[in-house]
Amino acid sequence: MRTLKTLAAAAVAVTLLAGCGGGSTPPAASGEASSAPAGGSGDTLVVYTNSNGEGRGEWWTAKAAEAGFTIEIVGAGGADATNKLIAEKNNPIADVAFGLNNMYFSQVQAEDALEPYEPAWAGQVDKELGDGETYWPLVKQAILLGYNSDKISKDSAPQDWTDLWTKDEFKDRYERVTGLGTATAQLVFAGILSRYQDDSGDLGVSDEGWQQVEQYFQNGSPAVAKTDLFARIASGEVDMGQMPSSIIAEREKSFKVNVETVIPSVGVPLAVEQIALVKGTEKKEQAQKFIDWFGSAEVQGAFAKQFNSMPVNKDAAAQANPEVVDFFADLKQQDIDWDFVQENMGAWVEKIELEYMT
Amino acid sequence: MSGTGVRGMVRSPFVLIVGAVLTWFIAAFLVWPNINVLIATFFPDGSFSGRAAEKLFSSQRAMKALGNSFLLAVALSITVNVVGVFIVLVTHYFRIKGSRILFLGYASTFIYGGIVLAAGYKFIYGDKGIVTSLMVKVFPGMDPGWFSGFFAVLVVMTFATTTNHMLFVANALKGIDYQTIEAARNLGASTWTILRRIVLPMLKPTLFAVTILSFLTGLGALSAPQVLGGRDFQTITPMILTFTNSPTSRDLAALLAVILGLATILMLAVMSRLEKGGTYFSVSKVSSALQKQDITSPVANAVVHAVAYLLFAVYTLPVVLIVLYSFADGAAIQTGQLAFGSLTLENYQRVLTQPSGLRPFIVSVVYSALAAVIAVGGLLFVARLLQKYKNWVASVFEYLLHIPWILPSALLALGLIISYDHPNPLVGGAVLTGTTVILLIAFVTVKIPFTLRMLKASFASVNSSLEEAAAIMGAKTLYVFRRVLLPLVLPAAAAITALNFNSLLDDYDTAIFLAHPLVQPLGLVIKANTDGAEGVDGVANTFVYTVLLMVITGVTMYLVYGRSSRGKSKKKRLPAVPPAAPVPGPGLPGAPLAGEEAAQTAAPVR
Repeated sequence: MRTLKTLAAAAVAVTLLAGCGGGSTPPAASGEASSAPAGGSGDTLVVYTNSNGEGRGEWWTAKAAEAGFTIEIVGAGGADATNKLIAEKNNPIADVAFGLNNMYFSQVQAEDALEPYEPAWAGQVDKELGDGETYWPLVKQAILLGYNSDKISKDSAPQDWTDLWTKDEFKDRYERVTGLGTATAQLVFAGILSRYQDDSGDLGVSDEGWQQVEQYFQNGSPAVAKTDLFARIASGEVDMGQMPSSIIAEREKSFKVNVETVIPSVGVPLAVEQIALVKGTEKKEQAQKFIDWFGSAEVQGAFAKQFNSMPVNKDAAAQANPEVVDFFADLKQQDIDWDFVQENMGAWVEKIELEYMT
Repeated sequence: MSGTGVRGMVRSPFVLIVGAVLTWFIAAFLVWPNINVLIATFFPDGSFSGRAAEKLFSSQRAMKALGNSFLLAVALSITVNVVGVFIVLVTHYFRIKGSRILFLGYASTFIYGGIVLAAGYKFIYGDKGIVTSLMVKVFPGMDPGWFSGFFAVLVVMTFATTTNHMLFVANALKGIDYQTIEAARNLGASTWTILRRIVLPMLKPTLFAVTILSFLTGLGALSAPQVLGGRDFQTITPMILTFTNSPTSRDLAALLAVILGLATILMLAVMSRLEKGGTYFSVSKVSSALQKQDITSPVANAVVHAVAYLLFAVYTLPVVLIVLYSFADGAAIQTGQLAFGSLTLENYQRVLTQPSGLRPFIVSVVYSALAAVIAVGGLLFVARLLQKYKNWVASVFEYLLHIPWILPSALLALGLIISYDHPNPLVGGAVLTGTTVILLIAFVTVKIPFTLRMLKASFASVNSSLEEAAAIMGAKTLYVFRRVLLPLVLPAAAAITALNFNSLLDDYDTAIFLAHPLVQPLGLVIKANTDGAEGVDGVANTFVYTVLLMVITGVTMYLVYGRSSRGKSKKKRLPAVPPAAPVPGPGLPGAPLAGEEAAQTAAPVR
C-alpha cells in the first residue's frame, strides 16, 4: 500500500516535472490566479512598494477599493524593490511603484524603467524633491541623530554627527551600523560625505571626509542584529544613534525611554518617498488615475493623520498631526547635492563596506 | 551485463529518457540563466574587468570575513560530526534510559533555525542570559560577555545543524546488519572496536554527505555570527548579501559567491574520492535488524548518560524560551526581561487576524510541497543513475547539478528573470516572468543539490546483488527500480522531501523576485511584518512566525516521516524489503521531526 502511494506520488511528480517543463501547464499553485503575465490580468493594478509594513499596505488596499481601484500590493525592501523594477524592465509586472526614496527611484530611472507622467497634484508639491518628470514626492522623513535625554542634557549633547568621534565622552556611546544596506544608513553617509565634496578626492570625497567615516566606525558600538537601537538605549548599552523621524514617538513609548534629536548647523538630510508610473504598463490610463488619486491632498492627508507622516503635498499638511508639521517647519534641511550623491552612492557603499567597516 | 562505462549507459532506453529530460532541465534552468547573470555581472559593458578581484583582495575586512567563513566551515565539519554521531548513537545504538525523550529533545533543531535560534541561545548564555546570570552569582569575577565570538558561533551552529545526522545517519545506522555485530562480539571485539571497525565504516557514505552539508552551512553562516559573533568574528555572507543588492557592486557578490562555490565543489570532489571503492552495504545473505547495545563499563555508561542528558538540556532550553518569548511583548524580547505575568496572546492575535489571513500560508504550503515532491521524485531516477554509472558523463552531470550551491538565491532569481522575460525557445517560446511557474522552477532548482547528495548517499548503501538477482530473474529496469530499489531508499526520500518542504516555507530571497503578484507566499508577508525598522512588533512577529512555522514543520515531519517509521511500515514493507533494509529498530519513537536549519545547508548563502 505504502509503496503504491509513494509510487503514485512519484508519478505525479514526474508528470508535473514534464508539465512545467513545457512551460504551458500552470502548477496547482496558481489556484485562482491565472498563469498569464500579471500585466494582463483583469483590472487589478500591481503596486510595488517598500512602505507596506505596520498595516500601511492593508490601509492603502482598503482606501483604494473605496475609491474604485483594485490594487495588489507587492511589498519588498527598498533595495529589493529597486532591483526588481530594474530586472523586470523588459516585461514589467508592476504598474505603479511608491514609497521608494529619491535615491532608489533615480537608480530605476537611470535604467529607463519609468514612464514620465505629471500627476494632477504636481502643482501642490515641491518639484525639487522629485525629478520633476518621472517620480513625484509624497512623504518627507528626516534622518536624525537621537540621544537619550534622560541621561544627557541638551547642553552636553552632541551638536553634530562629527562630535560622536571627535569628543571622548561620546566614543563607544553611540550605535554605528554594521551594514549599509538600508536607506537610513545610506542617507546618514550622504549627509556626512557630501560635506567633504572634493573632485580630486577618491570618489569625489576628500581625504578628510574619508577619515570621518573611518573614525565613525572605529569609535561606535556595532549594532546588534534584531535588537533595536531603542532597546539598547533602554538597557544603557548605548546612548545615541541614527533614527528616522517617523519611528521616534512610538519607540519611546514601547521601550520607555525619552529621546531628543540633534539638529546640526548644516541641517538634517531628508528622505523623500516618491511615486512613479512603471514603463511598459498595459494599464497606463488606470495607473495614471490611481497616481492622481494617491497623491491628492485629501488622500495624503488621511494617510498622514493615520500614520503620523509628513506629507509633501502642501494642501495635505493641514490634516497631518500638528506636532509633526511643527517639527518639520522648524527643521533645517541639509543642502545636499543629490546628483552627486546618486552618482556615487553605490561606490561609496562598496568602499565603506570593504575598507572602513571593522 | 550493463557496464558502467559511457557505452553501457547509452544502450539503456531508461538512461536515455532520463538523460534527455535532465539535459534539457540543466541547460534551461541551471546553466543558461546563471551564465546570463554572470555575464551581466562580470562583463557589464561587454569587456571583462579585474576590478572585483582587485577590490576584494585588497580589502582587509573582506579577507578576514572570508577567512572566518572558511574557519567556521572546517570547524563545523568536525564538531557537527562529533555531536551528531554521538546523539545518533545515544538515541539509536546504545541502550540509554529515556532515549525517546532524548530523541525528541535532539529533534528540536529540525523545526527551527536561523536568527531566532541564535536569539534563543543568547537568551540563555548571552550577557543577560539565564545561565550567565547564575554563573556570575557563583563566580563573581567572570565576564558576562563570555558567550561571544568564534567559540559562541561554533557552539550554536554545531547544535543547530545536527538535523541531517538525526535523519540520515540514523537512517543508515538502522540498515546495518546486526549479524556482523554479533559475529564481531563472539570473536571478542569490544564495544568500542565494534563501533570503530564495523558501525562507523558502514555509515561512511552518509557521513560524507552530511559533512559536505556542514561545511556548506559553515561557509554560508549568516545569523549566528550576526547575533553572537561580536566585533571579532563576522563572516562573509552579510557582505555578499549587501553587494548582491547593489547593482554597481554585484560583481563583488558574484565573485565571493563563486569563491565559496568552488570551495564547496572542491570539498565535494574530495568526499567523492574518499567514498569511492568502498562497500557500504551488508553482504550477508540473511541479515537481521539492529538491536540496541549495552555499554558494559559502568563508568562509561554513567558518563554517556550524563552527557546525553546535558545535551538534551542544551537542545531544548532555547526552544522553550522562544515559545515563551513569543507571548511576550517586543520590548521584553529585546531587553531580555521575561515576566511571566506579562505573557499574552496579543502577538498571535495581531499576526493571525491580518486581512491576508491564511492565504499566504496556503500558497507557501502548496508551492513548497510541489517543489519538494518534484525535486525528490525527479532526482530519484537521476541519483540512481549517477550512483550506478561512474564515468565522466555522469560526473559532468553531477557537478552541473550542484550549480545552485554556487550562487546566492537572489542571483539565481535574477538570472531566471533576465533569461525568461522574453519568449525563449528553451521553454517552447514561452515567457515565464509574471507567471506562477517561474517560482516553482526556482524552488525546485535550489533544492536539487541537497536532494541529490542525500539520495545518492542512500542509494550507495543499497546492496547491488539484490538488483542483480531481480534482473537475472527477468525483471525490467523500471520494475527493479520500483519494487526493489525504491522501497529501500524511501525513508530517506521521505525525510528529504519533508526537509525540502520545510526549508521552502518561509523563503524570501527567491520569492521576492519571482512570486506572482496575486499569489504571494509567506516569506514576503513575514518580511513585511518583521523587517525594516526592527521595532517592537517586528521582533515579536518574528517569534510568532517562528513558532507557527515550528507547528507546520513539526506536523509535516510527523505526517511524512514520524508515522511511516512506526510499526506500520514494518509490516507493509517487509515482503518487498530485502534483509539489509532500513527497518526501524524496536522502540524507536516516530517523533515529529522537521528541519529548518537544514534549509540553510542547501544554499551557501541565505
